[in-house]
Parts: sequence; C-alpha cells; structure tokens
Amino acid sequence: MEIKETLLTTDTQSLSPVSGVANFFKVEDVFNMARANSLWPLTFGLACCAIEFMAGGAARFDMDRFGFGVVRPSPRQADLMIVAGTISRKMVPCIKTLYDQMPAPKYVIALGGCATAGGPFKYPGQYGILEGIDKIIPVNVYVPGCPPRPEALIAGIMELQRQIKSKEVKGTMTQAVVHDSQDNRPAEYKNAISRVEFRKPPTPPAAPSPENKS
Amino acid sequence: MSFILQEIIKIILYGTLVTLFVSVNALFLIWLERRVSARIQLRRGPIHVGWQGSLQTVADAIKLLTKELVLPKESDKFLYMMAPLIVFAPIVAAFLILPLGPHFVMRDLNIGFLFVFSLTNISFIGIFIAGWASNNKYALLGSMRAVAQNISYEIPLLLSTMGVVMAAQTMKMSELVAAQEKTWFIATQPLAFLIFFCASLAEANRAPFDIPEAESELVAGFHTEYSGMRFALFFLGEYTAIFISSAIAATLFLGGWRSPVPGLPAGSLAGPFWLLLKTYGIVFVVMWVRWTFPRLRSDQLMNFAWKVLIPFAILNVFVTALVIQCQKFFA
Amino acid sequence: MPVLEKDITSWLREVVKPEEFNEKNLKTSGVLFEAVVAQNKIREVAREFLAQDYFLESLTAVDFAECLEVVYHFNRWSEPSRSCVKILVPKNDGKPEDGRWTAPSISSIYKSAAWFEREIFEFFGIIFTDHPNLKRLLLPESSVIFPLLKSFKGEPAGSDVTQSLKLMKEDTEGFQILYPQQVTEQATKHKRDYYLNLGPQHPSTHGVLRVLLHLDGERVIDAEPIIGYSHRHHEKMMEIQTYVACWPNMGRLDYVGAMSYNFGYAVLVEKAMGVTPPPRVEYIRVLTTELNRLASHLLWAGTFLMDLGAFTPFFYCFDDRENILDILEMTTGERLTYDYFRFGGLDKDIHPDMIPAIKKFIPEFKKHLKDYDGLVTKNIIFKKRTRNLGILSKEAAISYGVTGPSLRASGVPFDLRRAEPYSIYPELDFNIPTRSEGDVYSRYWVRMKEMEESLKIIAQVIEKMPAGEVTLGKLPKNVPKGEYYSAVESTRGLFGMYLISDGSLNPYRLKLRTPSFSNLNSIIHMLPGCLISDVVAVLGSIDIVLPEIDR
Repeated sequence: MEIKETLLTTDTQSLSPVSGVANFFKVEDVFNMARANSLWPLTFGLACCAIEFMAGGAARFDMDRFGFGVVRPSPRQADLMIVAGTISRKMVPCIKTLYDQMPAPKYVIALGGCATAGGPFKYPGQYGILEGIDKIIPVNVYVPGCPPRPEALIAGIMELQRQIKSKEVKGTMTQAVVHDSQDNRPAEYKNAISRVEFRKPPTPPAAPSPENKS
Repeated sequence: MSFILQEIIKIILYGTLVTLFVSVNALFLIWLERRVSARIQLRRGPIHVGWQGSLQTVADAIKLLTKELVLPKESDKFLYMMAPLIVFAPIVAAFLILPLGPHFVMRDLNIGFLFVFSLTNISFIGIFIAGWASNNKYALLGSMRAVAQNISYEIPLLLSTMGVVMAAQTMKMSELVAAQEKTWFIATQPLAFLIFFCASLAEANRAPFDIPEAESELVAGFHTEYSGMRFALFFLGEYTAIFISSAIAATLFLGGWRSPVPGLPAGSLAGPFWLLLKTYGIVFVVMWVRWTFPRLRSDQLMNFAWKVLIPFAILNVFVTALVIQCQKFFA
Repeated sequence: MPVLEKDITSWLREVVKPEEFNEKNLKTSGVLFEAVVAQNKIREVAREFLAQDYFLESLTAVDFAECLEVVYHFNRWSEPSRSCVKILVPKNDGKPEDGRWTAPSISSIYKSAAWFEREIFEFFGIIFTDHPNLKRLLLPESSVIFPLLKSFKGEPAGSDVTQSLKLMKEDTEGFQILYPQQVTEQATKHKRDYYLNLGPQHPSTHGVLRVLLHLDGERVIDAEPIIGYSHRHHEKMMEIQTYVACWPNMGRLDYVGAMSYNFGYAVLVEKAMGVTPPPRVEYIRVLTTELNRLASHLLWAGTFLMDLGAFTPFFYCFDDRENILDILEMTTGERLTYDYFRFGGLDKDIHPDMIPAIKKFIPEFKKHLKDYDGLVTKNIIFKKRTRNLGILSKEAAISYGVTGPSLRASGVPFDLRRAEPYSIYPELDFNIPTRSEGDVYSRYWVRMKEMEESLKIIAQVIEKMPAGEVTLGKLPKNVPKGEYYSAVESTRGLFGMYLISDGSLNPYRLKLRTPSFSNLNSIIHMLPGCLISDVVAVLGSIDIVLPEIDR
C-alpha cells in the first residue's frame, strides 16, 4: 500500500539568509511561531476519545496553558481538527465538508486507534467504518491509544507545534481505494442454522421439568 | 500655529493614541479573561507563551492576521465584508467623550454619553448585517436575537442614567465628574447603577445575556461564517464595548478620574490612573459574572428587560425627581 | 386481586391460541414464558399488553435457515414479568431485496416500535406493513446491504472510500431527496416555517447526533432525530468473535458508564452457564459499578450545565470525576473503557490502596455535592431554564419505553436493582429517588440524588466486603445452547441483552437493548412547542450517549 506524503508547508519563498551585521527574523518564522502557539481546535468528538479530549481541556490537564484551549465550535474559526473517535461511513461526507470549510493553514490530528487505522472495530469484512481518517484528509500527527490519555493528546499537539515551528508540517494520506478490509484474518462467518434443529431439546434430555424446556 | 492646524494635529495624535490604546487594551482584556476564567475554573490558563502568558493574545492576533479569508458561497459580498467594520468602528469613536482628567477630554460634547450609546446602536446594525450577509441560518438566528436584545436593553440603559443627569443637571461628562466631588452617584443612585450594569452586559452580548453568540446552541451565532481578521474585529469590538461601558459606568457612578481616598492626588497624571483602576474593577466583575451564571433564554431576556428593568428604572427616575423637588422645597 | 401475569398468560392461551407456548424460569432464562403467535394476531397481542401496562422492552429479529423470527419482549414496571412473544416470517427461499418478507407493524400501538422496526428492516430486510416511515435508521440511505443476515459475509469493498464520498452528494441534497414535498411547498407557498439542522457536529457534546428541526421562528413544530453516525457494528462483530473476545465491545458501547455494561454481560453469561461468582467478586462488582455511576452522572452534569451556558460547573464536575477515575485506574488500569469483569469473576483483585482512597474521597465529595446544590440547583436562572420544560408523562413513557432516571423523574419508581435484583443489591440499603413532574428540572434532581444514593451503597459495600478469591477458574469456552435474556440497571436505564446460543464458541445472535435508544426516541414527544434554547436543554436532560444508540 502506498503512502503518499504531501508537503503542507506554509512559506512560499524564503528570504536569503544574512548573518553577521544584523540578525533578521524571517517573517515566516514569526508567523509559524504564532501559529504554533495559538492552535484553536474544533469541537469535534465522535466517540470515546472525545471524552479524553474533553478531559484534556478540563481542570486537571488544562490544555489552555499551552494556548490551545480556545475551542471554537465553528470550522471557520478553528485551525486544528482533532478527529477523536471511530469514523462511520455515514459520517465521512460530514468530516470532508468540515475539513473543507476550515480556512488554511489547517492541521489534523488523528486521536486514538480508530482514527488512525480503524481501531478495535476492524474485523474481516466490516461494513460500517472507515479504517483511518487519513483515507480522506491528510493527517499531521497520529496519537495511538484506546483511548489515549489526555497527556498523550497534549504530547501529540506539542509534536504538531514542533513540526509547525520547524516547518516540517507533513500531511500523510493513505491510499483511498482498497478492495478488502485491511484485516486479513480468516473470518468465522457461519451459515444460518435451522430453527427446527435449534428448538429441539439437547440430547440426552435430563429429567424434563416443565420449567426448563429449551 | 493656526487653530485649524492645532486641531488637525490634536485629531491625529488622539486618533493614534486611541487606536493604540484600543489594541493594547483588547489584548490585555482577552488575556485577563482567559486567566480570570481559568482561576474560577480551578486551572491556570495560558502561562507558557511569554511571561505569564502575556504574549498569548499577540500570537492569536498574528495567527488570525495570516489566516485565509473565506467568502461563503452566495453570500452578499459587499455587506459581508463591511459588517465587521460597521461593528468595530463606532465603538472606537466612543473614546471621544471620555474624561481622563480635570481638563483632559477630547471633545466635551454637551450630550456626553448619549453620543456613545447612539454610536453603539450603529454597531448593532453591523451585527444584523453580518448575520444576513453570511447566508447561514444559524447566523441569521443569532443576529435576529441580537437585534431584539439590543432594542430591548437600550431603554433601561438610558433610563437608568436619567437619575444621574437629573441630580447633576447636565449631560456633559466633565461636569458629571465635577458633580461627584462630595459623594459618588453610586451611593445616591444604587438602583440605577445595578440597572445600568445589567443593561450594559446585555448591550455587549455578555453572559448571562450572550444568547446571540450562544455557543452551545447556535454553533457560533452571528459570526459563524467569519474567519481570520474579520472574526478578530468582532472579538475586538466586543471587548472594547465592555471597556467603554465600564468606563462610562465608572465616570457616571464611581466618580471618574477622582481618587477614592480624599487625600491622594487626582490631577492630569493621576486622573487616568484612577479611571483605569475603576474601569478594570468593573470589567473584572463583568468577567466574574460571565463564568458564574447560566444563560437566559431569549424570551426570558426580553421579559427581564421589559417587565423588570424598565419599571424599576422608571421608579428610580420618579423617586429621584421627588427627592430633588423636596430638597428644593425645604432648602 | 388476581396475579396479572396469569391473566395475560391465560388470555394468550385461550384467545390468541399461540402456535407454540413454553413456560420458562425467570431466573435462568429471563422471561416468564415464550409464545409464538400467528402474524395477524400480533397487533391484538400488543394492544392487550399495552392495556395491562406493559412496555415494549425490546424488539429484534433472528435469522434462521428456513425463516426469520421477530422477537418481542414486553415487561412491566410493577413486578418482574418479562414475556416473550414471537412471530415467524417464512423466507420461502427468497432474498431480502425481493421485498416479500413482511410482518405487521405495531408502531401505532407502541411508539417505540417505530425505530425498532426500522432497524430490523435495514438489518434483516423484513418489511413492516403500515409503518409510517420505513426507511433506514443506522446505515446511510443509499446502502443496499442487509448486514445481520447470516448470508451477509462481509462487504467485499471493505474500506472503499469512493462509496462514502458518493454519500456527500446525498448529504448535501439529502433534504431535497428525503422531503421533496416540503421543498416544493417552501419554494412556492412562502410559508413561515423552515428546517434547521442541529448536528451532527454540534458543540453540545452528546456525540454525533443530528436533529432535523422544523421551526416556526424559534418555536419547534416537529423534530426528527437522525442517528447512525456512530454505528460501529457491535452485533455483527460479536457473532464472529468468541465470548471472551466480546469484552472490549462491552466497554465501548456506553463508554461513560462502561462498568454496568460489563456487569450486564457477566450476569448474562453466568446465567446461561449456570455459575455463581464468589461473594467477594459480587461486592467488588457493585463497588466499581457504583463508582462508575458517580463518574457518569458527574460527566452528564458538567456537559448539561455547559449546554445551558454555565461553563464553570463543567470543570468542577470533571475535577471530581478525575478523582474517581484515579481510584478506578488503580485497580483496573483503565480510565474510560473498562473491561474489568470476567465470566465468574474479575480480571484481578482490587489494589490495596483502593479502599483507603475511597474512604478519603467520600466526605470530600459530599461537601462538593452541597456546593453544587448552592451554585446550581438554587440558582434562579437555572430554575427558569429548566422548570416545566420537556414534560414526559407516564403514558408517553410507557409508549416510548423510557427507562432510567428519565422515567423515575416522571413518577415511576422503576429501578432494576430493586425490581429484578441481581448480585448483592437485595442486601444493600438504598432508596430510589423519584419525582413526579417529569420536566428537565426533575431529571436533573433525580440524578443528583442518585449520586448520594450511590455514595451510600459504596460506604456499605466497603464495610461488608468479605475476603476471598476473585475468580472461578477456567470455565468452558462455550455457552450451553438456548435463549437467554438478562437486564441490569445501567447509568442511563435498562440495559438488556438477548442471547441466542447454538452451543458453539460464538454467540449466534446477541441483541443489545440499550436504554438511550428508547430514551432518545421520546424527544419526538417532548420537543414540539419548545424554543431552540430549550431543545438543547431537553436533549441534555435525557442523558444519551450516541455509540450506545448506534451500536
């Protein structure tokens, strides 16, 4: 399976470096520092990981200390989408719409096993979930866990901050069209049993009591 | 120098100072809000970006400046772009009449604070335009609620100040401060102060009256579709409006640039200091109230304005008039 | 006064003349009797059950080789009397796409049946005649699969994304496709009313719920909840897993109150195998479940108050909840999605520091509860926002199958820990807080009082806990052949599980009757007439967790 990496850096041209006489800040560096320190997440919780996201913003773990506590409900005002939880097929168009509505520069963190690669709901022949959000939008940081602790989430966002400040922001996408579920274990699907067979009492029948006919 | 040249230099100087002050003030207030709310909520708030988080709002502002500006499909483009300016500009113009010291006011208009409240009405037209031009049902709902709220709360806001005006016999801001030489008006008009405080909370769309931008109901209210610097202008406008109403409350009821302790100096240098101290005290109480109470529903909001605040404001005017007449009669 | 279940039993036998009738033992199989009736008699049966104050607890279907079985479970509040009625839908060697598998709908009698029947339609292909709105519930409208049939062995294009992206078109034009009449009316008649979509991404953090509101200004005329955005195919998955491998599923259904789901699964399989866990296990199970109940109610309180606009209690509640999570993490190692119970015992014994930590926690928490009382319950703005709003009457509660604190706030003291006791609950002393008004304030009040009752239970359990072992050792890997039903009181209501085991290593059919499914259905009754701000308050007060609804 190919992994296609798209570079999502935000500077288009760099000024030529000048050293010695004066120390210039590149304007892009200042912008990147500002963007890294002021990430505004979108309130977007899908399942269990959303609770750990909320706990991360609550009093004990307090994400606001680092600057990413201003959680905006509208995608137009947010720049970080933390996909927290399992993505069902029905939800896919909504996520794509939300991602498209966010203005650039925007970042995505896949929180938890489900958003990374399907998580515990991946089984041979699954019909309901999308195995990983990176099949439709580019992901910058993957945070593993089921669910990851709030400290892990904060570590993930700090890794994103490091990437933004050092201009290494990479959005990763995996190949979108796969013909089998990525879970290749042999599946134990059984055929339907006959009802008549099922209703027969188990052999050898114990002393049949009027209350325990099966 | 000729008079006109002097005036022009004064205007440019004041304009620059006011703009600078508004920006720095907004940055400070947003930082203060985040720290105050954090303390009330058992946590710390931004502490890592700069000394004690002071550069946090600077980072936010720079980030907002460099965001992509979006234009929603089928929105009214001209109105969509004008709305944040219409919301922000009149509030800045309100600094015109604020007396910072004994002879330190830019334009001592004889209608005083009435001028400010007329201007802030224009900013509400801006909110209405923002909701309409966004082509979004949530935004429209938010802006309609904002307009209803503004219209309802204008009346108690002005009625509550009538008591003060009657006692001081003037609307000029400098003379209002002069009239508080012996006692501040909060002691003689406590009811008016409370009504003014509630009404100015509602005018600034602050909780418990923040129905127009009710985050948990309407996504983000009238500024749902705004991003980047346009959104920042709405934010700045809100915090500057809080500052202006608190400053006017401080001037009308808490003695303006006068010092609370009789002995301390209150001249041209110390005057602004006292005014800022009182203003930020009221701003702190505004923030405290926001994080303590749940939100009122829109019809309960209207009920509160029309059935509670207005009758009490009228009562206050009546009682003040009675007291003034009795004083004249017996003196 | 004659015992009522004999009445319904004798009525069934004499009037309806069922094709099969078996009396069963309530303790071992979970139902009093099981009857198979003819298809055309089921409506009469449902009407009689409704007349005798039974509510529809669960409605599901099972796929056999020659026919499909539609299984109705009725239960009553006043005393344990769960009854199972079935109808058969012959397959006649057909396919679900032919549309010839039909059964009568009882949604005109029991309103909760509407959603159950839509779910059976989309998973099995049975068409319910006279159903008002038979369209798919949990899967996207454009799906063509019937997943829970045994003939469905997996989606060949497992994670094909292009199919999902096609759904984008359906989503944006979805309203036009689903409601064409309203669209033309709106365009031509200039009516005042309009449609507003609340969700699926919404700041009121209940998960991904979408409510389509039909509004006149700010007043709600009609509301339709649209679910399925969190469907994680638990039931199909469990059919190809062994019983032990299903434990993680139990932790992830209602992740906020996962211990009670663990409890339900343990009780079910232990009932089926006929084993009793050692006494220490029972005490630890009740202790951890009640601690989890506290944590769940605290999370609910925080998010409910945040919906109303009070941001601060959210942080206070979460802080208290973190203390509870620390205690549970000491023992289980998990913060949120517990799978601590095992069949016949537990994963491991409790940590030695756990009980001292709980003893320290209880008085501190009692003080905090008093703070919440002063800060929130007595606040005039809060009372104005919540009193006389979203009223749920007893008749509506029966019809929609509402259970849990939402039901107890409508005046019905129905709690499975007292009505159908399991584990050591009969020996513990606690009350069931009930309130009669049925409005949002009552539901809030009931949950706050339940927290106090849970503290009482925890204190008693710590005193009485015996020493002993925490496991029964190795148990057989398969469950004896048969049908079993078991229900426990989870934090949100009655969590029922219906297991059909064919004696092999995997469950043949495991139906999860989750409380939030029926509770959410009841907002169709509560919302008309509210303002938009009230919609959020009512939704918050019924306390739903979406993955539990969508399974």
